[in-house]
Amino acid sequence: MTNLPPVVIDNGTGYTKMGFAGNSDPQFIFPTVIATRETAAGGSTRSLASQSSGIGGTSSHLASKRGAEDLDFYIGHEAIRHSKSYALNYPIRHGQIENWDHMERLWEQSIFKYLRCEPEDHYFLLTEPPLNAPENRENTAEIFFETFNIPGMYIAVQAVLALAASWVSGKVSERTLTGTVIDSGDGVTHVIPVADGYVIGSSIKHIPIAGRDITQFVQQLLRDRNESAIPPEDSLEVAKRIKESYSYVCHDIVKEFRKYDQDPSLFRKYEGIHSVTQRPYEVDVGYERFLAPEIFFNPEIASSDFLTPLPDVVDQVIQSSPIDTRRGLYKNIVLSGGSTMFKDFGKRLHRDIKRTVDARLRRSEELSGGRLKSTPMEVNVISHKKQRYAVWFGGSLLASTNEFYSYCHTKAEYEEYGPSIARHNRVFNTIE
Amino acid sequence: MILLETHNVVLRDTLTKRFSSTQADPLDITFVDFDGVTYHLHTPTDDFHQLQLSVRWACFPQLLAYGAEALLQQQYKPFLSTTPEQGWHVTFDIDPRTIEGSKGEDVIRRFSLLKRNLMAAPFEHAFALHQQGDNGQSILTVPYREEESIFIRPQSDRVTVIFSTTFKDETDRIFGKVFLQEFVDARRQPAIQNAPQVLYSNKEPPLEIRHLPNLASGDTIGYVTFVLFPRHFETDEAREKTIDQIQMFRDYLHYHIKCSKAYMHTRMRARVSDFLKVINRAKPARETGERKTIHGRTFTPV
Amino acid sequence: MTANSRWRNTVQQQQQQSNTLRPYLAAVRSTLTAALCLENFSSQVVERHNKPEVESGSSKEVLLNPVCISRNENERVLIEPSINSVRVSIRVKQADEIEAILCHKFTGFLTQRAEHFVILRRKPVEGYSISFLITNFHTQQMFKHKLVDFIIQFMEEVDKEISEMKLSLNVRARTVAESFLLQVGRQCTDVSIGNATNFLFFYCCYG
Repeated sequence: MTNLPPVVIDNGTGYTKMGFAGNSDPQFIFPTVIATRETAAGGSTRSLASQSSGIGGTSSHLASKRGAEDLDFYIGHEAIRHSKSYALNYPIRHGQIENWDHMERLWEQSIFKYLRCEPEDHYFLLTEPPLNAPENRENTAEIFFETFNIPGMYIAVQAVLALAASWVSGKVSERTLTGTVIDSGDGVTHVIPVADGYVIGSSIKHIPIAGRDITQFVQQLLRDRNESAIPPEDSLEVAKRIKESYSYVCHDIVKEFRKYDQDPSLFRKYEGIHSVTQRPYEVDVGYERFLAPEIFFNPEIASSDFLTPLPDVVDQVIQSSPIDTRRGLYKNIVLSGGSTMFKDFGKRLHRDIKRTVDARLRRSEELSGGRLKSTPMEVNVISHKKQRYAVWFGGSLLASTNEFYSYCHTKAEYEEYGPSIARHNRVFNTIE
Repeated sequence: MILLETHNVVLRDTLTKRFSSTQADPLDITFVDFDGVTYHLHTPTDDFHQLQLSVRWACFPQLLAYGAEALLQQQYKPFLSTTPEQGWHVTFDIDPRTIEGSKGEDVIRRFSLLKRNLMAAPFEHAFALHQQGDNGQSILTVPYREEESIFIRPQSDRVTVIFSTTFKDETDRIFGKVFLQEFVDARRQPAIQNAPQVLYSNKEPPLEIRHLPNLASGDTIGYVTFVLFPRHFETDEAREKTIDQIQMFRDYLHYHIKCSKAYMHTRMRARVSDFLKVINRAKPARETGERKTIHGRTFTPV
Repeated sequence: MTANSRWRNTVQQQQQQSNTLRPYLAAVRSTLTAALCLENFSSQVVERHNKPEVESGSSKEVLLNPVCISRNENERVLIEPSINSVRVSIRVKQADEIEAILCHKFTGFLTQRAEHFVILRRKPVEGYSISFLITNFHTQQMFKHKLVDFIIQFMEEVDKEISEMKLSLNVRARTVAESFLLQVGRQCTDVSIGNATNFLFFYCCYG
C-alpha cells in the first residue's frame, strides 16, 4: 500500500480543504463545522478551555453516555443542512483548534466518509497557523498516531505552503522559501514574513479586514442605496455573490467614480431568485464593484478602528524584519486565499508598495546629499492561478515529492519518543 | 454515521459536476478508496468533455479470475476501453455528451459503486458455484489488501466467507477482540437471528482454510468467519445487501475501532479537566492585585 | 457473557470491594498526610543545588523508609518520603488486558499533560501505573490537605473511569455488531419486526 498518495488536509477557521497529494485542487472544500446532538449544557465532549460546569454533574453524565451516541453528528455542508435539529460547533477559532473533541470527530468523518481511505495506509500532511503552540502540534500528533494509526505525518506552516504554491507562477524565477505571504481568507488577513522556510514570528501583522468584512460592506452599500428588491433574509448572500462576480480593484478611486458617471455601461445588473417565493428580482450593481476591495487600500471608508492600508502594513512588516532578509521579502510578495482574488489586486498592491519603497530610497539619497546611491529595491507581487487554495496546493505539491517521506515523523518515532516529536518539523529546503 | 457507505464520494461528486455542466475544463485527479483502490480520472485529449477513468487494485488479477470480466461487461460495457491505460488495470471512457440526461444519474451511480461491484464478483462467483453443487472443493482467495485476504468457500448448503485482518497496534488488537466477540454474541438477539453466523479466531486460521499455503498466523492477525446460508443470497435484494455489507466488514471494523479510540480520548479529556479543577483547588486564590472602578480608575481595597 | 451481565458483575464487585476500599483510602490518606512534612533542604552533594532527595537519592540519611499500602495483589500505593519531597506511586487495578490497555492509555494521556498537573511525574516508578512527586515547594505554595484530597480523589476516579471506559467499549461493540448484522439479516423474510425497530432506529439515525 506504499504507493498510495499522501492525504493533505488544511483545516482553516472558515473552510477545510482536503484531498490527495499530487492533485491541483482539493477534492473537498467544506465549512469547518460539526453538528452534534449535544445540548448547550455541556455534554462530556467539552474542550478543556471551555469547560465551566461543576464537577458533580460531569460524572453522572459520563456514566449515562454509552453506546454510539458520539457517532451521531454531521460535518461540513451536511452539518449546516442539519442545523435545525443539531447544534453547530466551530472547532477552530482564529486558525487554532479550540475544541479537540470536535476536531477529532471531524477528522474521523472526513477520512472515512469523504476521503474513503484507511488512514493506516496513508501519510498525512496537515497545516498549522504561524505561531501555533507546540502543545497543539503534540495534540494533533496524539490524535493522528493513536486514534488513526497513521504511518507518518508532517505539520507544515500555512504561510510556507503558500510560498511553495507560488512556484507554479511564471513570474517566479527561483524556488525560494523566502518571501512575504499575504493570506486573506474569510475572517482575518495575515501578513507573514518567511525567511528560508522559517516564519519571522515577531514581525507578523494581522489586519481585521477580510472576506466577511467586504461582504458586509457591500451589504451596507446596497442597504444605504435602498435596494428594496433584495429579500432581507438573502441580503448577505446577494452581497457575497456581487462581491465574488463583479468586484475588481481600481487604479484611482476618484477617477473611477468619474468614469462610472460618464459611462453607464459599467453598471451591472444582478439577477436573483427569491429563496422562498421563487420570484426573480434584479439588483443594480454600481460603485460597489470597485469600492468593495478598496477597503484594503482605504480602510477608512468602511471601518473606524483600523485605518492602516494593506500596502503600508506590508511595508511595516518587512521593515520590522531582520535587515538582511528585507530584499528577499520585497522581491517575493505572495498572495494566498480567496479574498486576494480580486482582479488587479496584485497590481495595485505592487504599485502602492513600490511607491512607498521608492520614496524611502529617494529620501535617504537626499539626506545623504547625493553621496549614497542605493540599488533600486525590487518589489514583486506574485499572483497565480492556484491562489485561492494556495495553502492546500502548496501542501499537495510538497507531499507529492519523494523527499516528503523523509521529512515526516513516523509511527515508529512516535512510539519511541511520544508526541513531543511533533514539536519540530524540519523545513523543506532542497526541493527542486 | 454507524454504517459506512459503499459509493465513492469523490467519484460521484466529480462525475455529477461534469454531467450537469455544459462547459468542460481540463481535469486530472488521482484519488483512492478503501483497501488500496486507486482511481485516476482525467481528460486525456484536448476535448475536455471526454473523460477517462482508470482503476488500479492489487488484487485485480484474482478478481478477473473470479468473474470480474463478465461483471464489467454487464455493468459497464459501453464504457469499457479495449486497452487499459499504462500502469492501470482497467480503463473506462466516459463522455457525458453521449449520455442522455435521465440516464446520467444511473451512470454516475454505477461508477461510484465501481469498487463495490468489482468486489462483488468473487461473491457472485461463489454463489454460482454453490448453485452448481460445489461442495467445498474450491476456495476463492482475494488478497484485497497487502497482508489481508478474503477467502470464500462455497459448499452445498452454505457459503463461508473468511476475512483475515491485521491489527497494527496493540490497542487495536485488544479493541478488535472485544468487537469481534460481540459480533459472535450478537446473534443471540432475536432481531438478528437471521444474520449470518459469525466466528472468529485470533492467531490461528480456521479449519476450513488451514491447509492453504502462506497463511499468516500470530498475535496481530485475526480470522473472522461469516457463514452465509441460502436465505442470505437467494433473492436478488438479499444478495445485494449481503454483498454490500460483508465486503465492507474489514473497513467497518477498523472504522469503529478508531471511533472508539476517539471516544476514549473525549472521555479522557473531560476527565483530565476534572482532575485539573481538583488540583487547582489546592492553589490558594491569587491576590487580584490592582482593581479598577467602572470609570477605569484604579483603587486599592483596604 | 453479555454486556448486561458484565455490568452486573462489575456492580457486585464494586460492592464487595467498597468494604475494603474505605480503609485502604483512609490508610493512604493518613500516611500521606504524615509523610507530607517537608522542609527546604539544599543538596549536600552539589553546591547551590536543591533537588528532591527522594529522586536524587544521593544522601541516604535524609531518606525515610518507604511505605507500601496494598489493597490486594493488583492494587497498591507506594509512598517514599524524604526530607524535602515525597514520591507517591499508584498501581491501578488491571483485571484483564482490556483494563490494562485502557489504564496504559489513560495514564499516558495524563502524563502527556503533566505540566498542568504540577505534581505529576512524567514517568511512573517501575511496577506502578502512575507516580506523583510532591516537593516542599509544592507544599509551600499549595494547601497540603487539598493535595492529599487530590491524590485520594484521583485514586477513586481512576478506577471508576477505567471500568466505565471498559463498559462503554463493550456496549459500543455490541451496538456496532448488531447494526452490521442487522443489515445482512434484515432482508430475510422472517424478521420479527417488533424487535427490529429498536435497531432500525439506530440505522435511521446514523445510517
